Amino acid sequence: MVLMDQRSEAGRSPRAGQQAVPPLAVGHIRKVFGEDTGVISEVIADISFSLGSGEIVSLVGPSGCGKSTLLNLLCGLLPLSGGQVAWYGKVTTGMPKRVGYMLQKDLLLPWRTALHNVTLGLEIHDVPRGERQTRARQLLDTIGLAGFHDYYPSALSGGMRQRVALARTLANEPEVLLLDEPFAALDFQTKLVLENDMARLIRSQKRSLLLITHDIEEAVSLSDRVIVLTHRPARIRAVHDIDIDVDRTDMMAAREAPRFNEFIRAIWSELEVRERA
Amino acid sequence: MTIEREAIGHPMPVSPNLDAQSATSYRMRRMARGMRGNLLILACQLGLLAILLGLWEFATASVQLNAFLFGSASAIWGFLVQMWRDGSLINDTRVTGMETLLGFVLGNVMGTLLGLALWYSKFISRVVQPFIVALGSIPIIALAPICIIWFGTGLASKVAMATLSVVVVALITAYKGAMTVDPDQINLMRTLGASKGHIFRKLIVPASVGDIFAGLKLTVGFALIGAIIGEFMSSSEGLGHAIFKAGSLYIVPKVFAALTVTISLALVLTYIVGKIERLLTPWRQV
Repeated sequence: MVLMDQRSEAGRSPRAGQQAVPPLAVGHIRKVFGEDTGVISEVIADISFSLGSGEIVSLVGPSGCGKSTLLNLLCGLLPLSGGQVAWYGKVTTGMPKRVGYMLQKDLLLPWRTALHNVTLGLEIHDVPRGERQTRARQLLDTIGLAGFHDYYPSALSGGMRQRVALARTLANEPEVLLLDEPFAALDFQTKLVLENDMARLIRSQKRSLLLITHDIEEAVSLSDRVIVLTHRPARIRAVHDIDIDVDRTDMMAAREAPRFNEFIRAIWSELEVRERA
Repeated sequence: MTIEREAIGHPMPVSPNLDAQSATSYRMRRMARGMRGNLLILACQLGLLAILLGLWEFATASVQLNAFLFGSASAIWGFLVQMWRDGSLINDTRVTGMETLLGFVLGNVMGTLLGLALWYSKFISRVVQPFIVALGSIPIIALAPICIIWFGTGLASKVAMATLSVVVVALITAYKGAMTVDPDQINLMRTLGASKGHIFRKLIVPASVGDIFAGLKLTVGFALIGAIIGEFMSSSEGLGHAIFKAGSLYIVPKVFAALTVTISLALVLTYIVGKIERLLTPWRQV
């Protein structure tokens, strides 16, 4: 809850006009590898979508369809071969600001304690020591790691490490989070709890989330919208608005919603896994 | 639903203090077990040493082995006592130890700094790579006469020899450490807004510490070898000098005595490096 107060002070982009300008708008992007070597492989053919303020959108695709490439394109880690990416209404080529990024690998620095892993981004932005420690401690408490602040990552379980990684991402107060299979390495129970906690945090703080996953249930239970991608070269196959009328921070309730299975089945058939596997 | 959530939920539903306590006691038990294991290993090592020395002594005493050519454990001990009494043991160890230590520190500081700095520019690192390989392939003994000419017959030439023995290895291990950092980790730093300087200070340097320490352990021996070679070429004191002199006079047990001291010096230095490593990298032992 403290986090929410901080956010309003931190000053996000003006609320007015947020309907008109989504935090992220992707227009006809395309990515081809190997143009310089002559062995051309087209990974992304044509993808357009937008991520609204406070929205949770999932990108689901068959394995190897270039989902991670897409994420790297969005946050400027890879150059585009075509199309454009607009962050907060401005076409951006480099690293966007106020965007957090998290992968399946927790990528915690083993020589830093949980607390100091969370303060990493704040150190980079020259936040004074006292303030960054206070913020990191609050975040770790909020995320269920009270009492583990001074543990090294090697002493934490996989789920706890992923919590620290999430806290590190949130510490920079990103308006948009880009997550690439963040829970794929976790067991089902831990994953469910983390999804619940993340949904609660993100929805209460009105952040936007773009989630890349191969887990259809995760996508449907968590998101407002699910975008299904085709096999490589990736295009958009279908878009589903997940209009199930339940508490969207409760992953179990979502699973019990009447239309849940309908979405799962529709997306499953669109993935065409069977034909290819 | 909430009850279920709590049960499978937060990582440690019990009081974290309780858990921390049990973790501490677990760690202490494990440490005790580890210490018992270490004692056993030490006992076996000493036993093995005693058996080898006993066999040696037996072989030379029973005329199977010529004690004049091969020395004997008791004669070596006699020389060790003598060297201790006349003060040469302490003095030679001090001299060689100082040369080794200075060369070790100098070589590692220069090598590590250069190796890490090469991470900064792929271009420069590619330009200098063949030079590094060339430098690394020079037999260090070939440089000894030049070191004596440039730096004289005193401490400086031995320190130079020890430094030269260390610097290339230190450079290569540090460079390898810097270059093998996970590219995803670097990307993550970039998405957090890190500049190249940030990435270097907060990621590359600490991530290379493991490799750097592996290099340190390796180069303790190299520094000692460099110093001893320097002393062989021209010197008036030091363990290398003692070995060389005793060898020229055919006093084989004294050669072994000085060698024993040299080995002990290497062991002590390696042990100190290991201690420092454990002190500086607490996250690597959990």
